[in-house]
Amino acid sequence: MDTSNPAVLVNGELLRMYVGRKVRTVIQVLQSNGGITTGKSTDEHQLVIKGSPPPFPLTNFVEVIGVADSNQSICAERWTNFGNTFDTFSYNQLCQLANGEYKSLFL
Amino acid sequence: METIIPDCEIIGNPKLLMQSDSTSQKSSSANKPEQPAIPDNRHLATTSCSNSAPKPGNKMPSFRPTVQPPYRPPPNYKNHGPIAKNDAPARIIPISALNPYQGRWAIKARVTAKGDLRRYNNAKGDGKVFSFDLLDSDGGEIRVTCFNAVVDRFYDAIEVGKVYLISKGNLKPAQKNFNHLKNEWEIFLESSSTVELCPDEDGSIPKQQFSFKPINEIESSENNSIIDVIGIVESVNPSVPILRKNGMETQRRILNLKDGSNRSVELTLWGELCNKQGRELQQMVESGVFPVLAVKAAKVNNFSGKSIGTISATQLFINPDCPEAYGLRDWFDRGGKNTASQSISRDIMPGCPRNEVRKTVSQIKDEGLGRADKPDWVTVKATVSFIKTDNFCYTACPLMIGDRQCSKKVTRSGNARWQCDRCTQEFEECDYRYLLQAQVQDHTGLTWVTAFQESGEEILGCSAKELYLLKYEEQDDVRFGEVIRRSLFSEYLFRLKIKEEMYGEEQRVKITVVKAEKLNYSAESRFLLDLISRITC
Repeated sequence: MDTSNPAVLVNGELLRMYVGRKVRTVIQVLQSNGGITTGKSTDEHQLVIKGSPPPFPLTNFVEVIGVADSNQSICAERWTNFGNTFDTFSYNQLCQLANGEYKSLFL
Repeated sequence: METIIPDCEIIGNPKLLMQSDSTSQKSSSANKPEQPAIPDNRHLATTSCSNSAPKPGNKMPSFRPTVQPPYRPPPNYKNHGPIAKNDAPARIIPISALNPYQGRWAIKARVTAKGDLRRYNNAKGDGKVFSFDLLDSDGGEIRVTCFNAVVDRFYDAIEVGKVYLISKGNLKPAQKNFNHLKNEWEIFLESSSTVELCPDEDGSIPKQQFSFKPINEIESSENNSIIDVIGIVESVNPSVPILRKNGMETQRRILNLKDGSNRSVELTLWGELCNKQGRELQQMVESGVFPVLAVKAAKVNNFSGKSIGTISATQLFINPDCPEAYGLRDWFDRGGKNTASQSISRDIMPGCPRNEVRKTVSQIKDEGLGRADKPDWVTVKATVSFIKTDNFCYTACPLMIGDRQCSKKVTRSGNARWQCDRCTQEFEECDYRYLLQAQVQDHTGLTWVTAFQESGEEILGCSAKELYLLKYEEQDDVRFGEVIRRSLFSEYLFRLKIKEEMYGEEQRVKITVVKAEKLNYSAESRFLLDLISRITC
């Protein structure tokens, strides 16, 4: 496992702290056309995912890993389908814990 | 006094007592009627005593002493005599000073609670009783109970909120089962007791006294302890009818309270409270108002995490007039309503059954589970790491006893038939039921467990009969192996029954899987988040 360039677990709120850095987050896909996909983060922020979507159809929830290029957008490098149902509350709590007092446990 | 010598010689010169002397004696003796009687003058008068020289003669004058009545000490009203009644009013003392050895006492206090009139029937016959609670200006509280005829005297007179002067009751030890006030004594009124309404409003006596426990402290409170709580009502569930153990139906309503400790707790309302206050609270919450609710005398229970429920002595106060209520309102309106609070009543979390006690594998041994008289029931999240494939099932009796299958192990009788000793019957086809010995592991350790039919099916994903046929009739070891392998390394929530039993000569802890549930990741995540939050505080 290549741990040289870890992606930080973020939600909408935390994205602004890691602009320019590699991040990962789960969004609920709202719209996807061409090179722009809009999604809703687990804390209800609207995020723009740049980059061409994967060749397979996207499910309702998708994880994107990429570089944060602004408060509200990510240049996606990897897309993973997370299915049509997802516990956004737990994921959101996870993001807060991962960036809060348990930050040292995460890469 | 006794006369020793009836006649005797006159010794010396006795003076005749003059009449005037005797009268003065008499008047003084009138004040003291018990004075010893004076000697009779008549005797002295017969003897001549005008000259001092004794009369010569052969007959000596005799002085006949009289017998005096027995000596009586002067009257002393301190210890004897009629008892005078002191009808002066008793001093008012603080409730905290009351005790059975107090002597005459009076208390002035406000009624904070009035119990229902209850009728009962015991060996002595029919009776009735009611109690009310008092609070005085020093904050002392005490319960007052009346039985039978005394009930009639006072029941209508006592009103919650009014102040009374009470005296001449009996002090006895408080019945801790029903009486949750902080007083070791309880007053029992008698026919001689007095209860006087004090019409002038005594502002020095508070209307209620609370001792609120923050919700985060309820978590460490003892099961069945009685506490006061105050919090913002976050949600109110509808009232549902519940059948009680005694066959009577009652109402139950669950609501959630949240306070400044950022914890929330489930409060269960029972009975009448569901209707009056329960409905009022529901309407308030539905209209977007989140009221402050103060609860006096609620019981803590371990039922799901830690929660609280009302008892007959519980009183609810919506938006009470007290500083804690204002503080809560302030906290809530300024942002408290937006902070996520963790629930100490685990039932709030989805997928988490009530009264579930979570343990790890190592805790089973470390805590000596199963060693008590009754078996321990716990939930362990673990992974199946090994399944014993020899004797994974047994031949079972398929006959029904009532609505349950007999399931006793059956033995071969003859060539093609089976026999059940319990049902004393023979039959062609027997059933196959799981008797799995499996090893389960978690991050703390591993242990052997036994899984029967239902949990066996859950773990292996097929019936015991199917698996039996696969192995012994089709003899398809490849597919059999696949079924077994497929079931390994899945994480389950195992509900375990743990009990120490004798195996031959030694005591061994037997662990039975009562239920094996595949993990619901969402529910488990919530559970873990809750667990994490508890570590942090």
